Amino acid sequence: MTHKLPKRSVVFVGGGLTAGLAARQMMSSGIDVLVLERGGDLAGSAAATLPNQRDELRWGVRNGLVQNWANETYTLRHALDESALPVRRMEAFLPGDGMGGAANHWNGQTWRWAEYDPALRTRLESRYGRAAIPREMTVQDWGISYAEMEPYHDLFEQLFGIAGQAGNIAGKLVEGGNPFEAPRKRGFPQQPLEILESGQIFKTAAQSLGYKPFPLPAANSPRAYTNPDGASLAPCQYCGHCERFICEANAKASPAVLLYPMLQKQRNFEIRLHSQVTGIIYDKQAKRVTAVKFIDLQTAEEYEQPADVVVLSGFTMTNTRLLLTSGIGRPYDPKTGKGAVGKNFCYQVMSSVPVFFKDRFINPFMASGASQMVVDEFNGDNFDHAGLGFLGGGYIYSNVTNGRPINARLHPAGTPRWGSAWKQANADWYSHAFNVSVHGSNYPHRENFLDLDPTYRDAYGSPLLRMTFNFHDNDHRMSEYVTNKAAGIARAMGATAVGAPQPRRGDFDARQYQTTHTTGGTIMGADPSTSVVSPRLQHWDAQNLFVVGASVYAHNAGYNPTGPLAAMALRLGDDLVRYARQPRML
Amino acid sequence: MSIDDREPPARRLFLRRIGGASGAALATPALLAGLAASPSSAQSTLSSEAGKSVRSSYLSLGPQEAACVEALVNVMCPADAITPNGVDCGLHIYIDRQLAGAWGRGDQLYRQGPWHPGKPQHGYQSPLTPEQHFKAGIAVLRREAQHRTSKAIEQLEAGPLDALLQEIAAGRLDDERYALGAWFNDFLYPLFVQACFADPMYGGNRDKTFWRVVGFPGLPAFHGRNVVQFRGRPFPGASKPQSIEDFS
Repeated sequence: MTHKLPKRSVVFVGGGLTAGLAARQMMSSGIDVLVLERGGDLAGSAAATLPNQRDELRWGVRNGLVQNWANETYTLRHALDESALPVRRMEAFLPGDGMGGAANHWNGQTWRWAEYDPALRTRLESRYGRAAIPREMTVQDWGISYAEMEPYHDLFEQLFGIAGQAGNIAGKLVEGGNPFEAPRKRGFPQQPLEILESGQIFKTAAQSLGYKPFPLPAANSPRAYTNPDGASLAPCQYCGHCERFICEANAKASPAVLLYPMLQKQRNFEIRLHSQVTGIIYDKQAKRVTAVKFIDLQTAEEYEQPADVVVLSGFTMTNTRLLLTSGIGRPYDPKTGKGAVGKNFCYQVMSSVPVFFKDRFINPFMASGASQMVVDEFNGDNFDHAGLGFLGGGYIYSNVTNGRPINARLHPAGTPRWGSAWKQANADWYSHAFNVSVHGSNYPHRENFLDLDPTYRDAYGSPLLRMTFNFHDNDHRMSEYVTNKAAGIARAMGATAVGAPQPRRGDFDARQYQTTHTTGGTIMGADPSTSVVSPRLQHWDAQNLFVVGASVYAHNAGYNPTGPLAAMALRLGDDLVRYARQPRML
Repeated sequence: MSIDDREPPARRLFLRRIGGASGAALATPALLAGLAASPSSAQSTLSSEAGKSVRSSYLSLGPQEAACVEALVNVMCPADAITPNGVDCGLHIYIDRQLAGAWGRGDQLYRQGPWHPGKPQHGYQSPLTPEQHFKAGIAVLRREAQHRTSKAIEQLEAGPLDALLQEIAAGRLDDERYALGAWFNDFLYPLFVQACFADPMYGGNRDKTFWRVVGFPGLPAFHGRNVVQFRGRPFPGASKPQSIEDFS
């Protein structure tokens, strides 16, 4: 039997970064906010306290903080004519579980995307002509401009104490920063993290080639920091346990540190934990959503939670799946190109070149998740693609985020995989090697999309989400080109040995972690026929339903996705206040 | 929970004694296989060279499986100037404990059918639990070794066993019924690496041997000052690593 609860004003589905930021904007309005989160509060747990926080096997290898695949996973097929199978233990990307979501276990790499990204199709057509964009590359504009998001980027950086070196303040380039940076009103609230040995080596080599290296903007606080809300971060310990881990030192800016403790003191805010949302109740005639259905995982009771406004604030996959299972909007059909729910599903394309230094100590165990040096010359459309045969790109960086020894060891080519010589290679190179990596874009492809699996179901009886996804020619060519640029930097380092460049080749592989940056499925846009939500993130077929997160990105850039989705979440909070006062299409 | 809660002191003492024992006793579990009274208690008595009686208890592996795993880890991690052999590093214990624990039972693994083999990129698709899958592979490995060499795995000299593993890893023993190469590369090999480098509280990496070998300092990893002071320089803590147990 389903228990019907009293109506609430605004109900968020998913208690991660975006819900926390949007709710923060709404608190002074007095609007009633309820967040439903399937996981618990991890503060004080073994994951968040010493010594067990430093358990690589439990959190880093067995992924103890991520979505429980026994309950819900995704099915995968590489092409339309294949049958999908469930990925029984996903390694490729890591959705979170618990208050704070995936932002509990992120690395902290925080970018504003390029100024042209929200208008990528316009940019590419104007630079290369319409014919230069392959028919199957379904890039489209997002219906917003970077300029209108800038104040929210700035606010997010202040709230999360982002540490970095500005490269472009109001159109004026700043030495030492990213010359390709979108113009910012002011600098970062904190100076960059310490540059590691690997970063120094990278910087010198990149400069020798005429590139402009800069420190990656970081949410790992270099010093004690108090944000405008009075919430604090402690100094980063460079312990090398960021991604896949909760920062026990409260040095990594996260919603569970900076947002939820403050929100939970507000009278108009409630987060209901262990609440598994199973569907949104949709009145198709009225084009409105009326309630959220969820199971209280502590009691197994099912509830119906009526709401004036519903916000989907889950992970990319969750937002898309809820729209599909709830029958809201028209599912995307890759054959006709019609429909938008599930469209433009993207991932990212990572690659690397290992470098080895006999006499230099890299000490990879002293690092933070975002203490790298970067060049942005070959990202996105920062370079001329005429005649290259692909679009997109990636940033190139000194990829030292940790020295956790099960996974963070590099060996020169030809090293045996076990035995005395293998052990000797570990002894020789563990502290003396790192990867020069490429963090590459993945532009949408007509046949990469999400829909409901016809066969497999989750623990609560709903269909699993099916990924029809693969890398295509554009991805492979991009990876080849930019990885060779990375190899050029690697060869300028004076290394003892430079490993063979390893551009991304072959099919998408669920066994290999690349990034947690899946995007699309509920994309935003100005045209209701080609997008799911409006530029204000309002569902075209239900004006009291909003969707926020990387699921609204119409393509995936070579940048980490946190910056834009955080800025959009803050703007959404302001929009929800306006909407509550006067419900309408914003 | 500290390590003492999980493991009584007597057992820890025993583990240290095993740590000093020689790999010469390797084949013993197999020799005892026919004598093992209780198939599930999986306790066997083995004699070290010194004639002292030490006990080895397994949670998951039976005597023949244990003998095989011990032989494998001793070839993949031979005693040399770098480390003691795999058994003396506890690598077999790590594998046994993982098989017997939540991971081996399929924790966090989607286990609903229907079942199909899939492509390699789909990852694990077996209806077996990881523990069962591991044992199925061990059985094939034992059978193949017997077929090819007329010897049990644990009776092979290090050289021939190593050569056999190279063949397996290259997929040259795969047949229509079983992809032993995939089992070795995707299943056994990651367990071996984890056994070497995971925190010693899981049974492997005994005495933090592998951390010391590579220079991973372990805990507490408060490197706020070190990151400047030891940038590009050897870090003294790397030669005396500390583990979770040291802080429990």
